[in-house]
Amino acid sequence: MSSKRDLFSKYAVKVDLVKPKRTVFIIRPENVRPLFKDLIEQHGYESFYISTIVGTDLPGEGKIRLDYYVVLLPEEETIVVRTYLDRNNPVIDTLVDIVPGVFNGECETHDLLGIFFKGNPYLKRGFFVSLDIAEKGIYPLRKDSGV
Amino acid sequence: MTVTKVVEIPLVTTEVPIGPQHPALHEPLLLKVYADGEEVIKVEVNTGYNHRGVEKLCEKNTFYRDIFIAGRVCGICNTVHANCYVRALEYLLDIKPNNRARYLRVLAMELERIHSHMIINAIMAEIVGFETLFMQIMLDRERVMKAKEILTGNRVLGDYMMIGGVRRDIDEVKRARIRDLLVKLKPRIEFYKKVFEEDETIIKRLVEVGLLKPVDVTSHSLVGPVARGSGVRIDSRASDKYDAYDEIPFNVITRTEGDSWARMMVRWDETLEALNMCLYILEKLPADGNPVPDEKRLPRVIPQGESYARVEAQRGELTYYVMSDGKSTYPYRVKIRTPSFNNIINSAFMYVGLSLADVPVALTSLDPCISCMERVIVIDLEKNTKYKLTLKELAGGRV
Repeated sequence: MSSKRDLFSKYAVKVDLVKPKRTVFIIRPENVRPLFKDLIEQHGYESFYISTIVGTDLPGEGKIRLDYYVVLLPEEETIVVRTYLDRNNPVIDTLVDIVPGVFNGECETHDLLGIFFKGNPYLKRGFFVSLDIAEKGIYPLRKDSGV
Repeated sequence: MTVTKVVEIPLVTTEVPIGPQHPALHEPLLLKVYADGEEVIKVEVNTGYNHRGVEKLCEKNTFYRDIFIAGRVCGICNTVHANCYVRALEYLLDIKPNNRARYLRVLAMELERIHSHMIINAIMAEIVGFETLFMQIMLDRERVMKAKEILTGNRVLGDYMMIGGVRRDIDEVKRARIRDLLVKLKPRIEFYKKVFEEDETIIKRLVEVGLLKPVDVTSHSLVGPVARGSGVRIDSRASDKYDAYDEIPFNVITRTEGDSWARMMVRWDETLEALNMCLYILEKLPADGNPVPDEKRLPRVIPQGESYARVEAQRGELTYYVMSDGKSTYPYRVKIRTPSFNNIINSAFMYVGLSLADVPVALTSLDPCISCMERVIVIDLEKNTKYKLTLKELAGGRV
């Protein structure tokens, strides 16, 4: 367990907490993909799963926050990999080719918040949001979307 | 004789739509199955027949109204949805319910697990053509529906959870009635488990159908009985020990076969575990005060912060992320991730190589919950060939 946490600590620029006692490792967006690559190489696919991806619009800061909730196995400890993207150009490398379990999360976050996961061929507007809203370029979970 | 002509027979791929309205499916979902003869070579999971938009709705309603919205994400697993959301708020408020409330919450959730597992096993029996078994299981399921009604006041939508406790207490008469119903139910569950273990038809249809290896489970983020049926021990009741799960004894059921049969057997064993837990709760129910808090004294504004609650729903790990800005009575962000969102959408790879007739069996073994899944519209495509119709267009026959 400690070695897995060490790996997250290695990339973290700051450590925070989400209640109840979920450790948050804040890392740079360009390090998210290398982190998961290292995790797979060093500990294997059976050592974790990505439970969910949570995107949150923070217009006051001009950022979109992206959280990957990761469950470490077999201890089943939930930790959070957090990164911040520029709200005007929210781009991050995809994980779908190395962790197929993020497929639904990346597609959802793209369509609802407008985050572009570079390298994910499945992203498409109108996947989740009804076409009349998608065609207007509205991302419904952005705070200024007016939805 | 010399060969003058070569006739090439092209590989013909047949597209077989299963759903969204189909006798083998009980909820609206479209599986676009591409088959070479009888063998499935590709499956696309197309959904969008139940789309609502609950997360946005939660942002537009108060923290307290959202308890009822959360309970309506899904009918069958409404109690766990409400529990998970309520606990996320309790983490922010630093409120802990008393012991009696924590035990009653587990009782409600385990009763829900029993009837949910029974219904999906009944549906599986129907899918494989064993309709008598379907009717028998559904008949016995009425006992647990009655028990849930006695506890929460409703057969299905309980609205039982509230911040700091539950909405109703039970007295000795109700305890005795629920216990009586469960005691009568137990031998029936044992009998159905035996049927699933021994019946030739069920064995032939389920064994080695829809195989999932442990590495497939974790890499595709599959959860719940689907994961445990492949030997991956994921159970947030055991790891997070929320409510009274740290005090009530139970076993985490796993199997190693990884097929549809293993997933159904995990559910039967979990039904028996849940039943024993309910009987334990009814016997040892603490009496440390009123489990129903005074709603008027609860704070309307939730302190600034973030919380992330997990619950082991019937179909697997269900999570709620709640963020409060500490200024208003509305949540800043609510993110719901249901087990079916992972289990159904990320599992299209599982069908490849099956025969067409096995597709409904494999899908049912995942216990799909479309209303849970379709808070958003999701498509699993290798090539982008998807569009969405409005209801008006659909009604007009444009498909």
